[in-house]
Amino acid sequence: MAVNFQSLAEEFTKFYYAQFDSDRSQLGNLYRDHSMLTFETSQMQGAKSIIEKLVSLPFQKVAHRISTLDAQPSSPDVGSVLVMVTGELLVDEEQNPQRYSQVFHLVPEGGSYYVFNDIFRLNYS
Amino acid sequence: MAVNFQALAEEFTKFYYAQFDSDRAQLGNLYRDHSMLTFETSQLQGAKNIIEKLVSLPFQKVAHRISTLDAQPSSPTVGSVIVMVTGELLVDEEQNPQRYSQVFHLVPEGGSYYVFNDIFRLNYS
Repeated sequence: MAVNFQSLAEEFTKFYYAQFDSDRSQLGNLYRDHSMLTFETSQMQGAKSIIEKLVSLPFQKVAHRISTLDAQPSSPDVGSVLVMVTGELLVDEEQNPQRYSQVFHLVPEGGSYYVFNDIFRLNYS
Repeated sequence: MAVNFQALAEEFTKFYYAQFDSDRAQLGNLYRDHSMLTFETSQLQGAKNIIEKLVSLPFQKVAHRISTLDAQPSSPTVGSVIVMVTGELLVDEEQNPQRYSQVFHLVPEGGSYYVFNDIFRLNYS
């Protein structure tokens, strides 16, 4: 059965952002001990450190708006998926959204996926 | 010996863009038969198809300017690297650069690396 990588990636990403935007402290089960996050110039490893970083970001309200989302299989045998997202972030009472680019590397486990690699950058004009 | 993924990624990416900007028809040996490219809404597989696509892009002169470049190892065992680049593209006689985001998934082979996954998107305001 052929996996539709694009729909898988869209489904995962929408789920991820919905959770992030409602309560990002609950994202821990989407990462593992060996997962890595690069958030702007910070680099960390492990679900605990990653969630600490995300929770510490200086905003309360946040909304992700996806502009583009592209996916490709990242391995001939593992079933892992590489996803590149571009979009906009609206935080707190700010009127002007911030543009961003993000990469997720999703690895299958027990019928679901977790985030192994996560790279996030704001795109400044 | 620990691999410095960031330095490796910077070196590869600068080499790739230098080749792209001088003569993109010569990029074929950086891809393999199973390599994939998503360029805007086009998806292709294989070095031959990828180079055909890149060569067919409607510009002669081009210059890539890297704004950010972040790398992470994509596997605990294989030595492969995920790279996310944001930057600007100047084509032909255009004065205003186009902003873009790109992901490379680099796989080691024989002391060097090739591109297994390549995703490219312009970032529109």
